[in-house]
Amino acid sequence: MKQLGRALPNGKSWIASHKLRVSLLALVLILAAPWPAEGQLSPCCAILAAGLSSISSALTSVIGGGLKNILGVDQAIHQFEQDVVWPQNLINQARSLVGSLEGVFNQIHSLTQIKVNSATLPNSQQLEANLLSRNANQIGQTSANYAALYGQVPAATDASQQVRDMVDMTDAAAQDAMKRAIEIDALSDLELQAASQINQSIQNAAPGSAPIIEAQADAWLIRANAYTQAATADLMRLRAIDLANSSADIKMGATNTTNLRQQLMNLLQHN
Amino acid sequence: MHWLIFTLFSLGFTWLMVREDSRRRVVAVTVAGVLVLTLVVAPPVAHAQGEVVAIEAVLNAINGVIQTALNAINTVRSAINTFYQNTIWPVQLINQARAQVQQMIGQYRSLMAGILNIKLSSATLPTSQSLESVMRDHQVNNFTTLTQNFSNTYGVIPTSTDASQADRDMSDMDDALTLDTLKTVKVSDDATDLEFQAANSIETSASQAAPGSAPFLTASAVASTVRSQALTQKMLAAELRQEAAHIAHRNGFRKRGADFSTQLRGVLTNLLQHN
Repeated sequence: MKQLGRALPNGKSWIASHKLRVSLLALVLILAAPWPAEGQLSPCCAILAAGLSSISSALTSVIGGGLKNILGVDQAIHQFEQDVVWPQNLINQARSLVGSLEGVFNQIHSLTQIKVNSATLPNSQQLEANLLSRNANQIGQTSANYAALYGQVPAATDASQQVRDMVDMTDAAAQDAMKRAIEIDALSDLELQAASQINQSIQNAAPGSAPIIEAQADAWLIRANAYTQAATADLMRLRAIDLANSSADIKMGATNTTNLRQQLMNLLQHN
Repeated sequence: MHWLIFTLFSLGFTWLMVREDSRRRVVAVTVAGVLVLTLVVAPPVAHAQGEVVAIEAVLNAINGVIQTALNAINTVRSAINTFYQNTIWPVQLINQARAQVQQMIGQYRSLMAGILNIKLSSATLPTSQSLESVMRDHQVNNFTTLTQNFSNTYGVIPTSTDASQADRDMSDMDDALTLDTLKTVKVSDDATDLEFQAANSIETSASQAAPGSAPFLTASAVASTVRSQALTQKMLAAELRQEAAHIAHRNGFRKRGADFSTQLRGVLTNLLQHN
């Protein structure tokens, strides 16, 4: 501090004696000092302002205009889809129709539940109850009920082997068809149930999900056709066996006639 | 950074100005200082020029890449719109399809209903006429009448004094399955009438449907077809039972023929033994 105290009067006297030098020093330092940005950037501000104005103009015309055009097209698409492709009122109308169809098919389902049994005697009542049971678990009882009503295959002492084979085959075809009828009844009940579920799904579907349900319904339809074909196949087997029996009757008649003629000739020769 | 350079410059320049003795040297230092100030310390103009370049780059991007992209998007969206309206869902063809459905309803519905409703009754005697009438009336609440009319036409099961138990059983089973089938057919006739109602409703709705609502109708129609198949199967099951009973009946005769042959042989043997 003492040195500083001594130096200050010296500095003042030095400045007084070197005024030119101090003036030059001050001038150079003032010129070299970094001034605030406002002063320094003021020449660029005009360029920046012009640039920003150009950007704003470009944003408004190029981007804004372009987006506006796209918005216009999107609005047109939206309007078209709402008015022509997926109008809400027609979608609701279709859903409502599906609901009313469900009512119609509930009536059909009730019709299929009506009892049609008609037998009056115990044996026939038992077989009929089995045949109309719609219960696949009861197929095991069919053969016994059938035999109780239509009898067994004749014993080997009572009929020729050919007749026994024919009778057994005919019984088999008849029983197979009866068992198939029980199966088909049970399956058709399940199909009605599934169709009802599908219909309920449609009522809750969207236009975009309805085709999925339709695909499922198509699959069910194919399945249903397959069941129908299985039943038709059994019907055809039944009729084929019937035709074969008619043919066999003619064949056996011919054989029996030949045998009878032979025996009569033998009898006449003995006499 | 700029302040740091200025500080270093100030310290160096001040030190030189203070240290120099001669006036000439002071002037030289001052000139040198001004040169350094001009070349090194003064802020570069290039900084402002860089901002201009950046603005130009942004403008170029807006007018180039972005404008091109927006134009392309607009072109594609317009093409999609045109494709939807002219190719996928042309309103003209949608209306044409609706009109066609409407036209076909008018052309076929009444005509076909009329054909199906033609009376087919053919019986000529009172008893058979009654049975035929109840068989074909599409009603499901008169099964008792059906059974009664059937008995009137085809008779009742013989009493136990008039026929063997086997005959009575087979006859009862034949009658039962015949009646079962007739009842099933009456149920089926009634259900068929309901199916016609459903088909008509779907077709009428199709005449007013939009492309977006049609899948509901299609799906419902397919579900209805599954039901229809189920009903066909029920009829087929009834026919199977009936046909099976038919051949079982004929087979029963064969079995009884075998029994009778055995019995006849026994009787003849006994007769010959007595002689």
